[in-house]
Amino acid sequence: MHELSIAQEILSNVRTALEPYPEARLERVRVAVGELTAIEPELLRFAWEALLEGTPEAGCELDVEWRPATQHCAACGVPKTRPPRGWLPLCGDCGGPLRVDGGQELDLLQVSFEVPDREDRDDRDD
Amino acid sequence: MTETIDPRQKILAANAEAAAALRTGFAAAGTLVLNLISSPGSGKTTLLEATTRRLRERLRLGCIEGDIATERDADRLRALGIPAFQILTGGACHLDARQVHRALDEAAFPPLDVLFIENVGNLICPTSYDLGEDFKVALLSVTEGDDKPFKYPAIFARAGVTVITESDLLPYTSFDLEAVRRQAATLNPDGVLLVTSTRSGEGIDGWCQVLEDRLAVKRSGAA
Repeated sequence: MHELSIAQEILSNVRTALEPYPEARLERVRVAVGELTAIEPELLRFAWEALLEGTPEAGCELDVEWRPATQHCAACGVPKTRPPRGWLPLCGDCGGPLRVDGGQELDLLQVSFEVPDREDRDDRDD
Repeated sequence: MTETIDPRQKILAANAEAAAALRTGFAAAGTLVLNLISSPGSGKTTLLEATTRRLRERLRLGCIEGDIATERDADRLRALGIPAFQILTGGACHLDARQVHRALDEAAFPPLDVLFIENVGNLICPTSYDLGEDFKVALLSVTEGDDKPFKYPAIFARAGVTVITESDLLPYTSFDLEAVRRQAATLNPDGVLLVTSTRSGEGIDGWCQVLEDRLAVKRSGAA
C-alpha cells in the first residue's frame, strides 16, 4: 500500500506547479497510471481523498487514466488481445514468444483550478 | 474562472532526481549496486549471507537493509564481517532514493565494489522507486508458487535478474519451473533467471559470477 506515498508526491508536484497562482483553488488533477507501476487506481483515489482531508485542497477530484500494457508477437509483430489483467503466454498464431510494451506511465497530466476574477489585474494588463 | 495547466511530468520526478544523483556517485566510485526485492521470507538475507561467504575475500561488499522493525538483518551481515546499515522505515512498505542517500551519509561506508540494498519484504511497493541501482533483483522461493510473475508483473518485468530460491525443495512442491521461466521471459525477455539454493549450493556460483561480470562491465564502462 504505497499509494499514500504516491498521493503525497502528486500533491507536492501540484503545489509546486501552482506556485505562480497563489490565489488558485484546486479543482481537479488528472494523472496517468500504467499497469506495470504496481499502483491501484482505486487505492490511489482513496489515498488522495484521505490525504487532502483538512487541507486547503480538500474536495479536489483525482482523475486516474489507466494505461494498460500491451503484448505483441516478437516474430509476426501482430498486437494481441489480452484478457483483462491477464497475460498471454505465447502467440496464438505462430506459437512464438510475446513482448510486453507500455504500462510504465506514472505522470501528472493536468491541473485544473479556479482563480478569482481580478478587475484591477485585467486593467493593468491592458 | 477555471484555468488548467498541463505539467506532463513524472509523479516520481523528485525520487528520480535523487536516484540519478546516487547513480552518478556509484559510477564515480565504481560500485555495483543491486536492489533486492521479494516477498518477506523469500531468502534475500540468506542469499546475501551465502554471497558474502563466497565473495568477501575477493570483493569489498556492503549492505543497506530496509525493514519496518529490528536490526536483525543488518546484524546477520555484520556477523560475516561486512559493513551493514539498517534503515528502519517504521511501517513504510518500501525504500526511496532519499532514504538511501541519508543512509549512505550516516553509514560512511569504506569504498565498496558491490553494495546490496535489501528492500523491505514486499513484492509490490518497492517496485516503483528507483534507488540508483544498476539493476533490480527479484527473488521468488519455490514455496510461494509458480504463478507469481504473471500475478506480480511490475517487479518481474523490471528485474534485471530473477533468482529462484530454495530449489532444493522443488521435489516436495508442485512448483513448475518451466512455467515460471516462460512467464518471466514473456514479461522481461532481456532478464536473466537463476535457480539457486543456499542449502544445496545450486546456482550460487553462477549468481556470484553474474555479480563479478556485471562489476567488470561497469568498471570497463567507467574507464
